[in-house]
Amino acid sequence: MHQPNLKEAFYALGRVPDCPVYDLHAHMGSYLGISFPRAEAPDMINAMDRAGVRLLVFCHHHTLHSPDIGNAVNVEAVRSYPDRLRAYCGINPNYPDVIAHDLDAFDQYPDVYVGLKMLADYHAYALTDERYRPAWEFAERRKLLVLIHTWGHSLYDGPEVVRKVAERYPRTTILMGHSCHGEWDKAVALVKDFPNVYFELCAVLDERGVLEKFVGETGSERIVFGTDLPWFNHHYYIGSVLGADINDEDRHNILHRNAERLLVRYL
Amino acid sequence: MDLDFYDANLYFGRPTREVYNPARDASELLRRLDGYGVHQALAYHVAERDVSPVAGNAMTSREIAGHDRLWGCWTILPPQTREVVQQGAEFFAQMKQQRIIALRAFPGLHNYLLQRTVFGKWLDEVSERQIPVLLSIEHGVSWPVAYSLLTDYPLLTCVLCDIGIWGVDRYTWPLLEQYPNVYLETSLVALEDGGMEAIVRRYGADRLLFGSGFPDRYPESAILQLLHADITLDDRRRIAGGNLKRLAEQVQY
Ligand SMILES: [Zn+2]
Repeated sequence: MHQPNLKEAFYALGRVPDCPVYDLHAHMGSYLGISFPRAEAPDMINAMDRAGVRLLVFCHHHTLHSPDIGNAVNVEAVRSYPDRLRAYCGINPNYPDVIAHDLDAFDQYPDVYVGLKMLADYHAYALTDERYRPAWEFAERRKLLVLIHTWGHSLYDGPEVVRKVAERYPRTTILMGHSCHGEWDKAVALVKDFPNVYFELCAVLDERGVLEKFVGETGSERIVFGTDLPWFNHHYYIGSVLGADINDEDRHNILHRNAERLLVRYL
Repeated sequence: MDLDFYDANLYFGRPTREVYNPARDASELLRRLDGYGVHQALAYHVAERDVSPVAGNAMTSREIAGHDRLWGCWTILPPQTREVVQQGAEFFAQMKQQRIIALRAFPGLHNYLLQRTVFGKWLDEVSERQIPVLLSIEHGVSWPVAYSLLTDYPLLTCVLCDIGIWGVDRYTWPLLEQYPNVYLETSLVALEDGGMEAIVRRYGADRLLFGSGFPDRYPESAILQLLHADITLDDRRRIAGGNLKRLAEQVQY
């Protein structure tokens, strides 16, 4: 009998039990520049169910953009769906006092946090800025995951800046959100040079050929899947992984195995 | 698959700036479409966009000739220069003969204004003949340009393609509400989580046309999204191909 490949299985069922998906780059809640049809936790869980997404790791938009709201919304959401959600503690370098407070409180939430989230382009301080140092040192001591927004040619979080923090904090697992979008060769060089640096695929997968380049140059074990949910649809990006010229072993690594390895101590 | 896909938005040929593994000609495109599970397509040679509409339109016509699963679109220019658009019925007769069922415009790349001052009664005629005009938001058409075109030609059959990777409901919904013949192509509608479902709830499934965005995007993305969209099977069928089939049939040459 014909054993269906992953593409046939996803086409037929929408979700595949032996290929659970881990989404390591997500958000939640309303946002200034866009109208989201499904931005709150119950709708997001629903979306996850439809695509077989086992776990989603996020940082709420409101945390990232308002110190007056802060990380409480992350804690609340994870504790409402403890089997399906984990959070990154949001770090905004404009408010060092808030960072100090959040890092002090971090250990009270082992059921919530897997690491930190930095959004340097939007917060307008480079990842190497002094204001980020307490957060990086905290992550380094605890060997946390740090999801950083990265973008090609950025002075805040472009590949040259990422190189400096990757060098400085070798015990921290750095997930390059958007994989230095547009400067793909430099993202490849970072993953080759630093064992603690990973590609993350949100906003990468809407262009053919980039994932093929990553897998061709570095293999598929240092790539994690992410969607920026509630921005981008799981099936859309899963479809891209299915459409890329890579094999089903690579697809299993990208959609779940790499994440399972990184998250094993938190789950 | 229980959907019959008719792709409204793809091109063949190699663009000026390299993209990953495009289809070099129409035969190659058909082989790729078979792999994706797409039955037929409204296609154009990218030379229409990247070289010149004069050269590119002829390449499109030549390539699709004899391939009954491919239909073409030509790219227009201002009527005054008579490079592409000629007044009178002959232009439309030529379209029919060469199996061209839609038009494209790239005003930003081709340096003109897509307005009544330029196109006058000619686009009124295109509206009356119900010929779809496809505009790519990623390639040379800004939102103000689309809005002003529709202010000038409110009955135009207008398909907005490649709507950008950010969700753009705040731009597209007013157009869907105001203009009955505006359609959205789905290669990036499908990217917005829940975007398709919200549009179908609000404006019905008739306003969406499946598109893959090939070769810039993976066709599997928009296909997998539509296969499992949270809408009825009947709605999915219309979006996959039924709506475009209807638009093609109602063109009056
Ligand atoms: Zn993000």
